[in-house]
Amino acid sequence: MRITTNRFGRIDVDPADILHFPSGLPGLEGCRDWALLADSDNDALGWLQSTTRGDVALAVVSPRRFVPDYQVRIPRSELTPLALADMRQAQVVVVVGKTDTGLTLNLKAPIVINLEARTGRQVVASGELSMQYEIVTQRPSLKKSA
Amino acid sequence: MLVLSRQRDESIMIGDNIVVTIVDIRGDKVRLGINAPTEIPVHRQEVYEAIQRENLRASRLEPGDTQDIGKFAGRSSNGPTRPPEGPRK
Repeated sequence: MRITTNRFGRIDVDPADILHFPSGLPGLEGCRDWALLADSDNDALGWLQSTTRGDVALAVVSPRRFVPDYQVRIPRSELTPLALADMRQAQVVVVVGKTDTGLTLNLKAPIVINLEARTGRQVVASGELSMQYEIVTQRPSLKKSA
Repeated sequence: MLVLSRQRDESIMIGDNIVVTIVDIRGDKVRLGINAPTEIPVHRQEVYEAIQRENLRASRLEPGDTQDIGKFAGRSSNGPTRPPEGPRK
């Protein structure tokens, strides 16, 4: 299936690879089908590209590569719609955001993907987690004096 | 806004497939049970709106914005989360 995207031009997506989000995403409720693309420059980064809206894509990362102790506690009610028996069949990614000071991760609302069923959902994790966890800042680093 | 009074264990039907039940009332806190089809997300309003705003903000990112991200990534983890898979762009 060929889709035309703003960021990546025309790309071919195998329909079997498409992820279906029954509820879309908050703010993007109309976008129910997505393709998860690997970034060709950065193996830590993926792009969740809407297959119906070429202008809509979200940068996503595997959270543990940036927050090694990130442990997401997801209420069962949030997992049931995904028909996930347990988290081992799940892939968890978080959305990359941007503020004036740099890049951030939404640790509070990760995206959970049922790999076998090819479905996904953005869930609200329990606990005090940031929606804008800073990972990259453009503040100049302080140099230590010799 | 439609305002209805309900006591504990009473319910409200929204449309023909959403049921809201008063599970418990303690002081000024009410516990609500919600039965809805899975396609309909149910969230605390302020949390949902915050996620909406954050997603819309994030949807404006371009590949140029994420160039530096690799510098801050650790090595691949063996945990339940794996690096994103999929066709290379």
